[in-house]
Amino acid sequence: MATAESTALIDVGILFGAVAIAGLVANRINQSVIPFYILIGMLLSEYVVGRIDFPALLGTDAIPHGAELALADTDFVHVSAEIGIVLLLFFLGLEFNLDRLIASKERIGKAGAVDLAINFGAGLLLGYALFGSFLAAFLTAGIVYISSSAIITKSLIDLGWIANDESDALLGTLVFEDLFIAVYLAVATALVLGGGAVGEALGQIGVAVGFILVLLLLVYLGTAWFQRSLETDSHEFIVLRALGITVLLSGIALSIGVSEAVAAFFVGMAFSATEHVHDLENLLEPLRDAFAAIFFFWIGLSTDPSLFLGVAGLIAVAAVATTPTKLISGYLGGRLYDLSERRSVRVGLGMTTRGEFSLIIASLALSGAGTALPEPIAEDVYAFAVGYVLVMSIVGTTLMQYSSEIESVVVPRLEA
Amino acid sequence: MTVYESDLPGVGKKFEVELEDDSRLVIVTHNTGKREVFLKDDPDADGDKLFELSDRLARKVGTILEGAYFQPVQAEAVETMLTDDTYLEWYNVSDAADIAGQTLEEADVRNRTGVSIVAIQRGDDLISPPTPETVLQVDDTLVVIGEREECAEFETLLGDEV
Repeated sequence: MATAESTALIDVGILFGAVAIAGLVANRINQSVIPFYILIGMLLSEYVVGRIDFPALLGTDAIPHGAELALADTDFVHVSAEIGIVLLLFFLGLEFNLDRLIASKERIGKAGAVDLAINFGAGLLLGYALFGSFLAAFLTAGIVYISSSAIITKSLIDLGWIANDESDALLGTLVFEDLFIAVYLAVATALVLGGGAVGEALGQIGVAVGFILVLLLLVYLGTAWFQRSLETDSHEFIVLRALGITVLLSGIALSIGVSEAVAAFFVGMAFSATEHVHDLENLLEPLRDAFAAIFFFWIGLSTDPSLFLGVAGLIAVAAVATTPTKLISGYLGGRLYDLSERRSVRVGLGMTTRGEFSLIIASLALSGAGTALPEPIAEDVYAFAVGYVLVMSIVGTTLMQYSSEIESVVVPRLEA
Repeated sequence: MTVYESDLPGVGKKFEVELEDDSRLVIVTHNTGKREVFLKDDPDADGDKLFELSDRLARKVGTILEGAYFQPVQAEAVETMLTDDTYLEWYNVSDAADIAGQTLEEADVRNRTGVSIVAIQRGDDLISPPTPETVLQVDDTLVVIGEREECAEFETLLGDEV
């Protein structure tokens, strides 16, 4: 079905159906949906289904050769995935209330700084050891540093931790990470699109910083305009206008070499100062989730699982090295929040999950293949990131689920 | 009693209410409007989830807890206060009531007890206002206005125990 135009609608239908089923399965077995969206994408890609020779296997032509069944990485899927990234970051910006951050800046700042120093530092070392180039190390550092807001928040709610004191430390640290990732993506995009070398990328970084300053000015001065822009009783108009503004500005950003995600983050921040935050959250959340699901699916679709074989060792090393770093930084962060040993251990367990933002960095790495990064390295970083997220999202949610068993072993030793 | 309020970025808001016995009620208001209610045995304990409510239901339960919301039901004696001492009550006419079968004029309720019968619910019909000729029947629900003592007086007239 990969080629015929008349089947485009069927392809999209299969995409949504497959994602829906993956979500159902994940829900049934109490796992986070993100790895399942990736896996189903991988399964339906030219690399898995596409390689199965059904006629030869079954001895009948009733089912065509797999290559005709595999879903292609069409423009629709790609652009939808891009909108998924934009909406994910738009929501971060929307949640990003400056007053709130300033109110608790000290604790968030300290816990966030410890988290950043330990994990980003470990990521840089690890990345350089694994890939041997600065840009690859920089991307690896981002991939292993940023925890998954989506998975962690959902697990907090599912496990009922949301009512406990550790939720403040966990969510506070996530806010710090989210702010950092906005800056990081701006720099990383400039490095990737600027050709990789820091010197060559300086011009690109200048453009990115300039664009961000313009956006910041817009956010600062434009609150009244953003407020007026959504002044309507119609849900339809609110959604259309918000998408119009957000997607257009993100597109413009990308066209001049600035990360579309960062632009979306600032647009979200601009709207967070208006009275429409609640409406936007309610109306755009389903849209974000639908497009984010396509993003994860697309990540799977572009991943050749056989590449995992080449990077399986790297993934294992990274998982073994960066699970403890998050445990330690989370524990220290919990202590900075004046939490007990037991709750601090939980913060560590909670922060281990990596997810959507590591994948955004992975897709960024892929876009630099052949220019900023030599193609084999870009593909390795990409496959590494996808495999790493698959492993860490499962490790992280499992650690959270078995926290009481882990606490009963670890906490007495810490207290002793 | 202290209420602790904190933001949950990406989720909503959390309120912790100190209860009398050192335990705490934790209410998480999600951005979606959903409310989750937890009970902690002490400030350091893990929260036990009691229940969750949709936005709409939570508001209704909230006003009931506050005492501001009331849904009239036809019961034996449901009372609402109009002022400090004036009650609006619902009474059922049982078999035991002497006044069953009498007209309002014969029953002479106003002079005997002081309360006024302002309406009578009979099956699906509402008789409002009832006339002196209206006959009181068994199973009628009488809507009555009067002071506390007058209402008590009327209740004895109905043959119900006070």
